[in-house]
Amino acid sequence: MNGLLNISPVYASILVVMLPFFGFLMQAVLGKKSNSGNIGLATIILSVCVSFFAVFLPVWNGAPLTERMHWFTVGGKPFYVGVMLNNLTVLMQLIVGIIALPVHIYSRAYMRNDPGIHRYWMFLSFFCFAMLGLTISTSLLQLYVFWELVGFASYLLIGFWFTKESAVQANKKAFIINRIGDIGFLIGIALVYTHCGTVDLGELFGPQGVFLPAVNADGSWLTLAGLAFFLGAMAKSAQFPLHVWLPDAMEGPTSVSSLIHAATMVAAGVFLLCTIFPLFNETVLLTIAIIGCITALSAAIFALGQYDIKKILAFSTISQLGFMMVGVGIGSWDTAMFHLATHAFFKCLLFLAAGAVIHEMAHFKATHQLDIDPQDLRNMGGLRRYLPTTFVCMTIASLALAGFPLTTGYLSKDSIVVQAFEWGFHLGGIYLLIPTTLAAVSLLTAFYIGRLLFKTFFGKFKFAEKLQKGELHDAPIAMTGPMIFLAACCLFPTCSFHPFDYHQSWLLGGFHVKTAFAAVAEMHSAVPLVLTLGALAAWGVGWRWYVAKRYPLSKNNRWVRFATRQGYFNEFYQLLFVKGTEQLSRGVYAFDHYVVDGLTRTFSAATRRLSVAAHWFDRHMVDGLVNLIAGTTYYVGHLVRHVQNGQLQSYLGFALTVVVLGILYLIIK
Amino acid sequence: MITLTHFLLVSACIFCIGLYAVLAKRNAIMILVGIELMINASILNFVAFSRYDKTNYGGQIFALFAIVLAAAAVAVGLAIILNVYRQFKTINPQNIHELKD
Amino acid sequence: MGILSLLIFLPLFVTLLILVLPESAGRMYKYLALGITVIQLGISLYLYQVFDVSSAGINQVNGYQFVEQLPWIRMDLGSIGLLEIDYFVGVDGISLPLIVLSTLVMLMAIGASWNMTKSGKGYYALLMLLNTAVVGIFSALDFFLFYVFYEVMLLPLYFLIGIWGGERREYAAIKFFIYTLLGSVFMLLVIVGLYFSVVNPATGAHTFNMLLMMDPGNYTPDSFFAYANTYHNVLGLEPRLIGFIILFFAFAIKVPIVPLHTWLPDAHVEAPTPVSIILAGVLLKIGGYGIIRVCYSIFPDMAALTNWWIALIGVVSILYGALNALAQKDLKRMIAYSSVSHMGFVLLGIASLTAEGVSGAMFQMISHGFLSAALFFLVGVIYDRVHDRYIYNFRGLASLMPKYTAYVAIAFFASLGLPGFSAFIGEAFVIIGAFNAESMATGLPRWMAIGGSLGILLSAAYFLWTLQRMFFGQTRLFGGQAWQSALTDLSAREQIVLFPALALALLLGIAPSLIFNNLNSSVLQLIDLIKPFL
Repeated sequence: MNGLLNISPVYASILVVMLPFFGFLMQAVLGKKSNSGNIGLATIILSVCVSFFAVFLPVWNGAPLTERMHWFTVGGKPFYVGVMLNNLTVLMQLIVGIIALPVHIYSRAYMRNDPGIHRYWMFLSFFCFAMLGLTISTSLLQLYVFWELVGFASYLLIGFWFTKESAVQANKKAFIINRIGDIGFLIGIALVYTHCGTVDLGELFGPQGVFLPAVNADGSWLTLAGLAFFLGAMAKSAQFPLHVWLPDAMEGPTSVSSLIHAATMVAAGVFLLCTIFPLFNETVLLTIAIIGCITALSAAIFALGQYDIKKILAFSTISQLGFMMVGVGIGSWDTAMFHLATHAFFKCLLFLAAGAVIHEMAHFKATHQLDIDPQDLRNMGGLRRYLPTTFVCMTIASLALAGFPLTTGYLSKDSIVVQAFEWGFHLGGIYLLIPTTLAAVSLLTAFYIGRLLFKTFFGKFKFAEKLQKGELHDAPIAMTGPMIFLAACCLFPTCSFHPFDYHQSWLLGGFHVKTAFAAVAEMHSAVPLVLTLGALAAWGVGWRWYVAKRYPLSKNNRWVRFATRQGYFNEFYQLLFVKGTEQLSRGVYAFDHYVVDGLTRTFSAATRRLSVAAHWFDRHMVDGLVNLIAGTTYYVGHLVRHVQNGQLQSYLGFALTVVVLGILYLIIK
Repeated sequence: MITLTHFLLVSACIFCIGLYAVLAKRNAIMILVGIELMINASILNFVAFSRYDKTNYGGQIFALFAIVLAAAAVAVGLAIILNVYRQFKTINPQNIHELKD
Repeated sequence: MGILSLLIFLPLFVTLLILVLPESAGRMYKYLALGITVIQLGISLYLYQVFDVSSAGINQVNGYQFVEQLPWIRMDLGSIGLLEIDYFVGVDGISLPLIVLSTLVMLMAIGASWNMTKSGKGYYALLMLLNTAVVGIFSALDFFLFYVFYEVMLLPLYFLIGIWGGERREYAAIKFFIYTLLGSVFMLLVIVGLYFSVVNPATGAHTFNMLLMMDPGNYTPDSFFAYANTYHNVLGLEPRLIGFIILFFAFAIKVPIVPLHTWLPDAHVEAPTPVSIILAGVLLKIGGYGIIRVCYSIFPDMAALTNWWIALIGVVSILYGALNALAQKDLKRMIAYSSVSHMGFVLLGIASLTAEGVSGAMFQMISHGFLSAALFFLVGVIYDRVHDRYIYNFRGLASLMPKYTAYVAIAFFASLGLPGFSAFIGEAFVIIGAFNAESMATGLPRWMAIGGSLGILLSAAYFLWTLQRMFFGQTRLFGGQAWQSALTDLSAREQIVLFPALALALLLGIAPSLIFNNLNSSVLQLIDLIKPFL
């Protein structure tokens, strides 16, 4: 280990990134091997070790390190690639690695018998490469490259079961919506480049992390650029109204959902905003806060109405990302990063546990040849007796998500809500709506995750009569091991030794964010108390509704249906954008075919007509004139020809006639 | 009293008959006869006009001259007709059109 | 004979050789063609290697490299003066990458025509003639010579499409020929006009030398195309503007721009695969190259005047082409329209008049060169097997042809601008350049850049739709079992053709400096040339 510690963190971080890439290359070259997972696993283990010992420990709370290398020059402007190590980036890199490792181990068991397993490992390694690279990029362009590559990896993994129609529809949707964000990102880069002449984060923000305006920093372009970057983050982090791809992305393998669509890639949007935070002005920050707030609320509502266990978790992810966005929007991006870190663990765990449940349900479905959806909550119930480890892990994660004390989620969520209240009080008036909504969403969160937990693990199993003994059981250790590890990470000691005060967290201590608003002491005790009590109440209601079977709402309740159908956003987008674009493209093609090409054809037809007309004119008029002259001459000749008939008598007769005529003429004259 | 006019009138009549024969007849002999008639009409004119030349009788002499020439011409003409007949088995000039186009 | 002339006339020599060889040596032709294109690629790569990246070119003769200048036609025309036409070739940073590209694409085309059976003699002879013309166009510096090569290029293409093409080949060939001729005929007028306006300061004679045409000092005062000429106005327009528009029109047909693009889908669809590859890979680039080399360099004042309109045409082409591609049901036609869209970026980048934009446009041209070649080759693969390319007739090809699908996916993602591939660099810098245009005061508004970036989104839409529709899902084919057995995976030859193109796309995406290093000084020189007129 000492040898490793001696290498520079910069090179170590490059090694962290390149190891999974090396694994990807190895698997690509080796091709179809069922044991190719070993390579992926080995590289990620190494990568995490290096990341922790050689990058995180030396850099955390130390001086930021930047190392860059000339990439290419366009015109006179050089572009660089490189590594930027500071508290933010090394933390993010470590989180990605630490989440990726259990997911890799879990996948070994979860994906074991899949025929396309070699592709799975290849894509997964590729994703890890891109995601790890994203975290430590030093220039916006480089960041953008990795940004799109993670999207590409996500595309590949969502559509991993490419024969499934819904999966390939989902990955297309995911990529295209992410593309919208990418365009925003690209526009942002172009604006920054135009006005500052560089896209290098170090040059832009300097070691102090404040925006160093090379040109005048005020002006509308800053707002525009900020909004453009936020658009990028919105698509990647599934913010309202671009959130629609994430629930569909659940078509991918569950292990993929846990890594990419819960913990790491979707958080990249928040990470981006934290990285370029100094760029944002008041307007942009307010927009971020508002959008985050709307997202948190709408997603929480949609989560209430879902029956698919993974879709609930997907909406929960969207909702929590909304929290993080609000954290950025109110200016305390440290809390956003804090929540990102804690959320990564418990949400990943929730997915892995859900995966274990789905795994068992699918197995059960296969043995009994039932026509059920193994992910549907309505087919579950009472599973805690059969899958105790899974149940415990899931409960811990749910508690963390719901924000119960002693969990990491409690600390991080409270940090955002408390700061939001302080921000709201600072600005006053209508701005208080945002923290209030967040508090309400916290309660909703507790309720929907309680609903998931109760419906899955409590009550009676729907197909209990068919169940044979020992048929449903906990997953093998390769799956439960990672879950237990993550469950341990969801408890408060991971990030703070004080269970109730988030200020003690080492994680927040790593970021020195100065907020514009003053601390309000009462909030620090009132908000956690109210939220905890509210969450308890929400679980109480959930217990009463779902376990004690006193469900008060009718099945056809409009609001329930509204939530189940995800607020009709998919239908709306399908109608407006997908159909609209299709119609537009058809219209344009018709225009092209009939008008533009039609014009060409009209020209050619007109030319041909003209040529026919010219031919007619030539033949009948010009040539006609010539023929007329010739014909007339011929005809006259033809007439006169009879005179020259060789008959002496006629000649004489003619002569006589002429003489007679002559005489007559002389007489008449 | 018979005046010059009567001679001329007769001569004109003979000329016209000759002319008619030349133009209209379908027989080379008859055309030859027509020619002879026209020559004779002119001879008659010579003789008639010679009244005004009592010293030299130029008209009379010309008439004799013309008669001789006419006789010769008729001989030649008949010979040609004979040859034509041998060649074409006809003496209708309408049927002899080897030179026609 | 210089190395550049060798590069140009080597294929012509092979053409003669092929024509002389007896028909019994039929199998020789393709090996001959292959050998010569490999040699050509080697030479061009050698040139690329020894190219001095610091010299700029564009309008300075000493900035050009591998220059050969020989008097070609000298004719005393009495009162008009001495006719001065040179054999004048040379390369700078703009033309050299395109020469390398065209030799590479030619090699791919030979690889794609390996199984061609229909009268190989004529086919390879024409292909090699085309090769000469294309390299000649990219290296000619005398306008007359340029025009000669330009016209020579048309002839083989007409026959290649018209004889070896698909069902409606005659229609497509004639349409292509007439369209291009329409542009080049008017170009000749402008060439003659320029000839009479420009005087070679060294000899005092009128000249066809393009570099001399780029120097405002060489124009005779009061001549037709003289700068700030106001009393030769035609229809109230300045003659230089008219000349610029006519030349732009000629090259824009080649690019092609909307609405002069309709020859392209027909020609591409009807042409045999190798000719589609050449059309998309090289021929379209002649348009872009001509705009930079001829329109912008000889008429820098008008370039500055009209760039708003040209950028607008670019943006319209991007969006229009992309929307059309989205509506296509024929795979080859879809890719043909995507070419229109991608070449729109070239126009937008050039019109931005910023170093980033022009570099991006050049990069996009090169990247599109081999990517579109690869795409057309991939269409050819499936067409060879089942003689159908209707998108709806295929589904779930991924299970049937995994290697093919992998190549298609890579080519599609590379084309839609995934970072790591070359198209990304091109498109990104076109967009960045277009944004930068406002602060450089070149007169492009930002909405054009945003409009252009929408094209990136749409390209993702049509490529992904095709990928999903044809390759994913359960296997279901229109032709049933017969197709299932006919659709075999890629052969070794096909992989040999495809692999370099895609590898190059990847290489250039990761190390764009391979191109940019050669481009930079020339691009900056071009910008400097135009800047005084902004």
